[in-house]
Amino acid sequence: MKKIEWLMNTKIWRSIFRTKLPISTNLDRSLVIFNSLTLHIHPVKVREKAICFSYTFYLGMISFFLFVILIVTGILLMLYYQPAIPNAYQNMKDIQYVVSNGTFLRNMHRWSAHLMVFTVFLHMLRVFFKGAYKPPREFNWIIGVILLLLTLLLSYTGYLLPYDQLSYWAVTVGANIVKYVPFIGTKIRFLLLGGNQIGDYTLVRFYVLHCVILPSVMLLLVALHFWRIRKDGGLL
Amino acid sequence: MEDKDKINNHNDSAKVITRRDFFNKIGTTATGVVLLGSLGVTLDFLSPNVLLEIPKEFKIGPLENIQPDSVIDNAEHHVFIFREHPGSFYAVSSICTHLGCNTKWNPAGIEGHPEGVIACPCHGSIFDKKGNVLHGPAPRSLDRFLVRVENDKLVINTDEIVSEDKMIVKV
Ligand code: HEM
Ligand code: FES
Repeated sequence: MKKIEWLMNTKIWRSIFRTKLPISTNLDRSLVIFNSLTLHIHPVKVREKAICFSYTFYLGMISFFLFVILIVTGILLMLYYQPAIPNAYQNMKDIQYVVSNGTFLRNMHRWSAHLMVFTVFLHMLRVFFKGAYKPPREFNWIIGVILLLLTLLLSYTGYLLPYDQLSYWAVTVGANIVKYVPFIGTKIRFLLLGGNQIGDYTLVRFYVLHCVILPSVMLLLVALHFWRIRKDGGLL
Repeated sequence: MEDKDKINNHNDSAKVITRRDFFNKIGTTATGVVLLGSLGVTLDFLSPNVLLEIPKEFKIGPLENIQPDSVIDNAEHHVFIFREHPGSFYAVSSICTHLGCNTKWNPAGIEGHPEGVIACPCHGSIFDKKGNVLHGPAPRSLDRFLVRVENDKLVINTDEIVSEDKMIVKV
């Protein structure tokens, strides 16, 4: 405790965290949260029951945490993966059998992805059964629906990347479902695949969607989602 | 300036356009045009002009190399080519009409169709050898392609889809 106090009084610490020391009043405590970007994710004041486990089952936070794992493991996977035919499939095999701890990394990414779909869905059920979608939270529900769709789209685009038989036929089936959109279905399918059949362009398109576009949108919306929770008056 | 705007807005009989209104309109219109334009250009960009896909037209032959009463599964173009006894040929797509998986020719057939059937591994659709649906979930029969005979070879173009009564070519 003494050491921490000493650390908090060093010049370097004081240059990073501007909070006035010592922290003694309620106002000081609020300022710790208020003045720090990382702690700012929580509001200055939280209702006691809202941080109780059985209240939210932490499902939203677990989803977010899985998303962070997916970003970290995904960036590492990118170092050994090339979105090209036939490299993609060979790269995946190399990651599993040649790269140190590659199997572990790949499994982390895959299992987290499966789990995230599951927890996001459970989170939605939690919100639904608690009636937390009602005004003033109706817009956060809409953001949530988009987040669910993004989660599913990330799974779908990621599924093609190993470029094995499962990937190929799953994306064939998915792209043909897209074709049933009235009037513009065939055109959307063409743009999605970058052609009439799955090929090199498809792989690159799915790669860019999976690694750049969808995660960026997701990050932006998650930030909005968290911000809305506060502006809607905290957790219900 | 603001006062002047107000006076103009309240005066219906004389519709004076102030300099500010004028430039606002020009600005908004220009921005709109540029936005729409860039949307169009981007959409255009997303649609590839050169595709390294295999050509739609291909040849099979010479004819005497095709066994009577046989099926050729052309995996490259996803087409089954059938030759029936007296020398009649026809071509049926091997792409399932449900959601696009590759179907397989099953010579053992099923009950009631001992001559063989076309089966899809994805969700279990079954077609007879002419491409008609025997078993869902496929909603319609397989595509049939026009077959022409040129220089002792069959020429098939997967863009030329024909009905069942026009699909057979006799030599
Ligand atoms: C990427 C997926 C998502 C993440 C990371 C996420 C994250 C969170 C977090 C951390 C919370 C705080 C409360 C808690 O932990 O339960 C929350 C609350 C909330 N979420 Fe999500 N969420 C996601 C998807 C969804 C979905 C699919 C919906 C519904 C369609 C939704 C609707 C809501 C609503 C309405 C609240 C406020 C609940 C309340 O006030 O009690 N979210 N979200
Ligand atoms: S794709 Fe053939 S049965 Fe579904």
